[in-house]
Amino acid sequence: MTEPTADPDPAEQTTEPGPSVSVDLSPRDLPGAAKRRSLRNWCIVGALSLVLAGILYQALTSARVFFYNVDEAIARRDELGSQTFRIQGTVVDEPADIGGAMVFTIAFNDETAVVRHVGDEPSDLFEVGIPVVAEGHWEGEAFESRQLLVKHSESYVEDNPDRLVPDK
Amino acid sequence: MYWNYVLIGYVVVFGGLGLYAVSLLRRGRNLAEQVEPDRRRFLD
Amino acid sequence: MSPPTSTGPAATPTGSKLTRVLGSLSLAFLAIFLLFGLMLSPPEVSQREAVRLFYIHVPSAVIALYLAFGLTAVGSVVYLRKRSTFWDLLAWSAAEIGVLFCAFTLVTGMLWGRPTWGVFWKWDPRLTSTAISFVLFIGYLAVRQLDLTPEARSSRAAVLGIIGFLNTIVVRFSVSWWQSLHQGTTLNPVDTQMDGLHLLSFFLGFATLALVFSWLLVHRFRVAWLAHQAGEAGLDRALAERRAEATGRTV
Repeated sequence: MTEPTADPDPAEQTTEPGPSVSVDLSPRDLPGAAKRRSLRNWCIVGALSLVLAGILYQALTSARVFFYNVDEAIARRDELGSQTFRIQGTVVDEPADIGGAMVFTIAFNDETAVVRHVGDEPSDLFEVGIPVVAEGHWEGEAFESRQLLVKHSESYVEDNPDRLVPDK
Repeated sequence: MYWNYVLIGYVVVFGGLGLYAVSLLRRGRNLAEQVEPDRRRFLD
Repeated sequence: MSPPTSTGPAATPTGSKLTRVLGSLSLAFLAIFLLFGLMLSPPEVSQREAVRLFYIHVPSAVIALYLAFGLTAVGSVVYLRKRSTFWDLLAWSAAEIGVLFCAFTLVTGMLWGRPTWGVFWKWDPRLTSTAISFVLFIGYLAVRQLDLTPEARSSRAAVLGIIGFLNTIVVRFSVSWWQSLHQGTTLNPVDTQMDGLHLLSFFLGFATLALVFSWLLVHRFRVAWLAHQAGEAGLDRALAERRAEATGRTV
C-alpha cells in the first residue's frame, strides 16, 4: 500500500493517483447531521429572502412616498379623500388644546394646514418653527392626525453655559 | 436628558465589539491547532 | 466554542505586531473618545444629550456601508476575475464585520429616533434601504454556509456582495431621491452643520471605530485563512483515505 501523505501535491492525487489505481472521487451520502445542517442553511436563506421581500414591499408602498408636503397634500386633497397618509410642514403656532385634541397649524411653500392631533404626545423636540410629520387623513379642511413625528434638522448647535442667547 | 438612550447605545456598540473580538480570538486559537505551522500564511 | 487553552499575546495565533499596534491605538482612542463623547462635549440645544448618539451612529454607518461593504464588493470583483482566495476571504471577513457595524447603525438609529422623532422605527426611505443592506449581507453570510462546492459558494456570495454594495448608493441618496423623515447630510464638506466639541467628538468616534474595524478585519481575515487551510488539510486527508481505499481494492 502506498503512503498517501508522502505525496507532496495532494491536488495531483485527484487526477493522477497512479498508473493502475482508480480512485473513487464521487460524493458519498452525507451523514444525517450534515444533511440537517445543509437543510437548515437553505431554510435560513429562504427565510432571509422572505424578510427581504417584506422589506422591499414596505419600500415600494410606505417608504417611496413617505410624506406629502403641505402644498402637495392640499393639491391632492380630492384624490387623497379620507385615505391615510403623512403630511409634512413646519409648526407655525403654539398648539391649543381643543376638546382633548392638540390643534396647531403647519406650513410649507406658502400653504398652511390645520392639524388636529389625537394620540400619543410628540417628542420633547416639538416646538414652533420645527418641521413635523403627521400621519392621518383629511377631515374637511383640517388634517386629523393619529401620530405626530418630529423631523429634526441636520444642524447641531452646542449648548454652552456662556451662550449669549438663552436656550429656547 | 436622554442619557438612558445614549448609554444603551454605547453599551450595545462597545459591548458588542468586545464580545465579537473575544469570539474572534478564540476562533483563531482553536483553528490554529488544526493547521500545520507551514500553512499559516498572513499571520505576521 | 471551547475556551482558549492559554492566555497572553504569545498564545493568540491571529495576533501580531500589526494587531498589537492597532489594538493599542484603538484602546487609547477609545479612552479619549469616551472622555469627549460622554463628558467634555456639551449637549445640543434641542436634542440635548441625544446628540452623543451621532458620534457612534454616523461612524458605524459609514464604516459598514462604505468601508466594509465596499471592501466586500472590491474583493468580490477581484475574486470573480482572478479566483483569488485572498480577495475572497477578505470580502467575507469585511462582510461579517460590516454586518456587525450595520446592526450598530440600526440599533443606535432606533435609540436616537425615539427621543427625537418620537418612534423607534418608521418605514422611511433611509431606514428601509439600510435595513435592506443589512438583510442582503446577512444573506451573503448565509450563502457562505451553504452546502455547495467552495467555488460555487464563493462565486454566488461574490455576486450578492456586489449587489449588496450597489444598495449603498440607494442608502446614500435615499434622503434626496425621496422625502424622508431622516435628517439630511450634516457633514457636508462645503457647509458643515456641526462645529466645536461636537465635531471633534464625532472625529474621535470615527477614528476609534475605524481603528477597531481595522483590528477586527486583520484578525477576521486570519481566522478565515486558518479555516480555509484547515479545510484544505481536511480535503487532503479525505483524498488520502480514498486513495488508500482504492489502493487496497487493487492489491
